[in-house]
Amino acid sequence: MEATIRRWVKSLIIFAVLLGLLYFLIAIGDLVKLMIISAILAYVLDPLVTMIEANGLNRTPATAILFSVMTLFFALIMILLLPVISSEIVSISRSIDPEKAQAAFAQLESFLAGFTAFLGVPDLNLTTTLVDMVVQYGNDIFGNLLSVVSLFTNLVLIPFIAFFLLKDGRTIKKYLVSLVPNRYFELTCNLLYKMDIQLGNYIRGQVIDASIIGLLSILALSLLQVQNAILIGTVAGIANVIPYIGPICGAVIAIVLSLLETGDMGLVLYIAIAFIIVQLLDNVVVQPTVVAKNVNLPPLLVLLVVIIGGKFFGILGMLLSVPLTAVLKVFLVEGYTTYKQYNFS
Amino acid sequence: MDSFWGNIFRQKDEEAEGIRNILKKIPIFEGLRRKELAAVERILYRREYKAGEIVLNQGDPAAGMYIIEKGKVQVVFEPTQQVIAELYDGDFFGELALMDESPRSATVVARLDCKMLGFFQSDLLDLIERNPRLGVKIVMRLLSVIGERLKKSNDQVQALQIKLYNMKQRRKTPAGDE
Repeated sequence: MEATIRRWVKSLIIFAVLLGLLYFLIAIGDLVKLMIISAILAYVLDPLVTMIEANGLNRTPATAILFSVMTLFFALIMILLLPVISSEIVSISRSIDPEKAQAAFAQLESFLAGFTAFLGVPDLNLTTTLVDMVVQYGNDIFGNLLSVVSLFTNLVLIPFIAFFLLKDGRTIKKYLVSLVPNRYFELTCNLLYKMDIQLGNYIRGQVIDASIIGLLSILALSLLQVQNAILIGTVAGIANVIPYIGPICGAVIAIVLSLLETGDMGLVLYIAIAFIIVQLLDNVVVQPTVVAKNVNLPPLLVLLVVIIGGKFFGILGMLLSVPLTAVLKVFLVEGYTTYKQYNFS
Repeated sequence: MDSFWGNIFRQKDEEAEGIRNILKKIPIFEGLRRKELAAVERILYRREYKAGEIVLNQGDPAAGMYIIEKGKVQVVFEPTQQVIAELYDGDFFGELALMDESPRSATVVARLDCKMLGFFQSDLLDLIERNPRLGVKIVMRLLSVIGERLKKSNDQVQALQIKLYNMKQRRKTPAGDE
């Protein structure tokens, strides 16, 4: 009886501590976001640092060399792409012609009404809802996106934290392991190793996948002569990180923007086909090659965590919620499997 | 203040030097240069065990080998509780775990307060990726240690087979024939 009470009290304390920790993490949300993005960056760059190390350099100079090259590379990309993207953002907000958009959505609504009539949905009210929303909040969305990333501070802080995580990652790991009691020492080492492999593969796979999808989308949209192809393609690539929902969001953004700008319904069909082809390529060729299959998440869970992530941390929260859930899944599954293999009686 | 930091760093250096001296005598790290030994020293886990504490359990997944920096351990075969070996300062055990993850074949218990160095398969694999030359050196030495153990085991098996054969022959031969 006493043992049961003790176990209950212990569980309650652990639960309270976890709840407190969650509250604390939400309270310092911005810092958590920074740490997560830095950790992802460190994970993506780790194999490159290891490759440089294999040529006889120590960890610190290897990391420094990689960061110097990366800084130059990004500076070059910024110089080349930033003016294009910012002019695309400006052109989107300028080119939105409410009248043209209204006409286009009226056309789209009548097109969709044919399909929805038999479902007993008489009026979709697409025009009023979407046009109002997009025209009123269009600028805010991009404003939020930029403010969430807090461009200048974060552009310095993220690489800075990632640099130290890369350089001192092993020392940090060694220190954390040294805190683990002897009994769980081997289990911890084993678990960390397995998690590291799975997470590394998953995160690197996702980044490569998003980059390829972004490039393919830019290519497809450019071929269709869609204005702002680079911006829309980039958004589509990033959105692709969220399974099931992301690709649809990418396509919808592209369609809505091109409708607002051109009002051409024919283009909508081509854009939809282009995105379907890109998604087919993603599912058949890219994902099986680069993304680790063992971190698959069920669709309902993805939907839930994206909603929760969005609720607490906005757009960035939606993007990070899926990789974080994957981290948690790997931790729980590997933790349980590894724990079961050990005899702790 | 200077002497405070100086003391800490000196202590760390002395510790590292002590570990390198132990490593030099371990066959797996034999012939490694000072810089290479330092690279190995950096990935080792230093652990302390109280007398009577279990270092590893028979049947648990194997993750790496241990080097006894100071102390004494007993290797025990669980089903019979038979003590297979007693190991002291500078000895090592569990080296097969560097090659595969099959379960531990015996339990190891600290008999005195021990200081140990843990060298794990994951860190060896990481070392091979970062420093292939050093990684290959260690793996070759490891193979030769395991090879020697295998030869010894083969000799023992052969000796036992001969003993068994002789016993069978003796049984077959009637007592009166002798």
